Amino acid sequence: MLLAVSVLLFVVLRLIPVDPLALSVSPNATVEEIEKIRHEMGFDRPIVAQYWLWLKGALRFDFGRSIYHRESVASLIARTLPASIELAALAILVATVLGLAGGLTLFHVRGTRKEPVLDVASIAILSLPEFLWGLFFILLFGVHWALLPFTGRLSPEYSMPAARTGFLLLDTLLAGRPDMFADAMLHMILPALALGVGFSPAIMRVLRSSLQDVYAEDYIRQARLRGIGEVQILLRHAAKNAILPALTLMGVQFGFLFGGTLLIELIYSYPGMGNMMVEAVRNADLPVIQAVGLVYCIAVLSINGLVDAAYSMLNPKLRPR
Amino acid sequence: MIALASLDWRAAARSPRVLIGAVLALAVVGCALLAPWIAPHDPEDQNLVASLLPPFWVEGADPAYLLGTDGLGRCVLSRLLYGARVAVYVAVTASIGAMLIGGTLAHLAGYFGGRVDWLIGRAVDVWMSFPPVVLSLILMVALGVGVNNVVLAIVLVDWTRFCRVLRSEVVVVMHRDYIAAARLVGFSHLQVIVRELLPATAPLLVTLLSLEMGIAVVVEAILSFVGMSVEANVPAWGVMIADARTTMYQTAWNIVLPILAVFVTVLGFNLLGDGLRRTLDPRLARGA
Repeated sequence: MLLAVSVLLFVVLRLIPVDPLALSVSPNATVEEIEKIRHEMGFDRPIVAQYWLWLKGALRFDFGRSIYHRESVASLIARTLPASIELAALAILVATVLGLAGGLTLFHVRGTRKEPVLDVASIAILSLPEFLWGLFFILLFGVHWALLPFTGRLSPEYSMPAARTGFLLLDTLLAGRPDMFADAMLHMILPALALGVGFSPAIMRVLRSSLQDVYAEDYIRQARLRGIGEVQILLRHAAKNAILPALTLMGVQFGFLFGGTLLIELIYSYPGMGNMMVEAVRNADLPVIQAVGLVYCIAVLSINGLVDAAYSMLNPKLRPR
Repeated sequence: MIALASLDWRAAARSPRVLIGAVLALAVVGCALLAPWIAPHDPEDQNLVASLLPPFWVEGADPAYLLGTDGLGRCVLSRLLYGARVAVYVAVTASIGAMLIGGTLAHLAGYFGGRVDWLIGRAVDVWMSFPPVVLSLILMVALGVGVNNVVLAIVLVDWTRFCRVLRSEVVVVMHRDYIAAARLVGFSHLQVIVRELLPATAPLLVTLLSLEMGIAVVVEAILSFVGMSVEANVPAWGVMIADARTTMYQTAWNIVLPILAVFVTVLGFNLLGDGLRRTLDPRLARGA
């Protein structure tokens, strides 16, 4: 699977008309010098050989060197990936809480006059993509009311703590600086909220419809006849079965959400992988684009894997006997 | 065409969602088509003396610039109207392109099953493991800027949305007796797909098409926001948003208005899609 992804990436990127070397050689280099560098970087070999060379490196986490940063791509990723994971994790939390709460509310008002209103409201939330939510929140909470910070990960008066894990929230705690932890947290509220809000309506809508399906089953009527309270029915009888389809969709959504960090990071000048990717795209920094693209895929696939695992844990039909 | 004609359009037209969605979508399409005639200014004309004017309902506005001007003194209304041209063009062409590729592959996979299904299924898996934003960015690096390259990038990314959903629908329909009957009567593969399968999957197809138009508008806005979409001299909503970020502290209107434009357009397509899904699908029609 990953192999296929990496082949696709490689082929697409080698079709690029720009010369990846244009940035890395000085303007007054001679043709011989350029050819020499081209040879050193392996760009003069046939594409299959280039791919093989890259793959051999990638298996050892050696993705080559960034043409723009003149630094190994692996260390660039090691620096930026934890920031993106941190942001995505918080956003997933926000999306899940909002999605579950909203889904239950949507289900609760079924058949009443409020239903179409709330339903259209959820479509409206869905219609604003996460990066526009991000800008909107900056305008509202950052500029208009000036409540929350919206650039970077820490206020300028703090210097970054020693990177023990790379995850800033953990690092500040490990360094024994609760004030810095609070500052880092404040910086993450707006980006995580923007990303989470953008992805919550899809969860709401699937949870609502799967609750509707479950409530049409006989065993719910049976439970009601036995005199069990509505809250008990919802929590103990319906929720367990209704959460499964919602979970499947959440897996796909969380993959998209990880991609969404790219724009949110750009908007909030958040030094994660997404920001690096956009910068690399602007500078035609092929090794970076290629490696980061692959890391995004690995992230999506592992999130999907985790969701699959959760799915088989919750669904007794899939459990090995 | 037979498949489209067989849909219950009259029921759809009675749904408030479809009506509101269609009105919003048509309004945007109208703006796009009429932009050269109704725009008060050339969208690229700069008037540095009159930069950052507010819209007409705010004090200090100039009646010549109904929605104000941006940091370079360009008319925001005219830029919004011309931006709609890019948005609508991309929405229509990209979603139809994605539907043709994704829909065709879905019907082939679902109809033939076996190896064809396996191959197409794996291709979808590979594609879906890229976050869409990342893949479209990478494609734009390879293709270079330009509105038709944006369309191509969106088609190449989003055909999977059609393929995945439609394939499972085709598999369900394939179990129906009338498909087996059609085969027994001696219909060719093509005849079965076009005359028997397509009418059954058409409601879903139309719904997905409408939703995809909204997605395409968003993707184009994202790409032009990043600067990887249209050429520099073409006004697009994403470009306007990106430009307005630099003057965010002086005035919010410049950034709010194009955001609203994207929102209204996508909301229109989403309402239309949701309403069509409820009314055109016989199984859901009761609850609409």
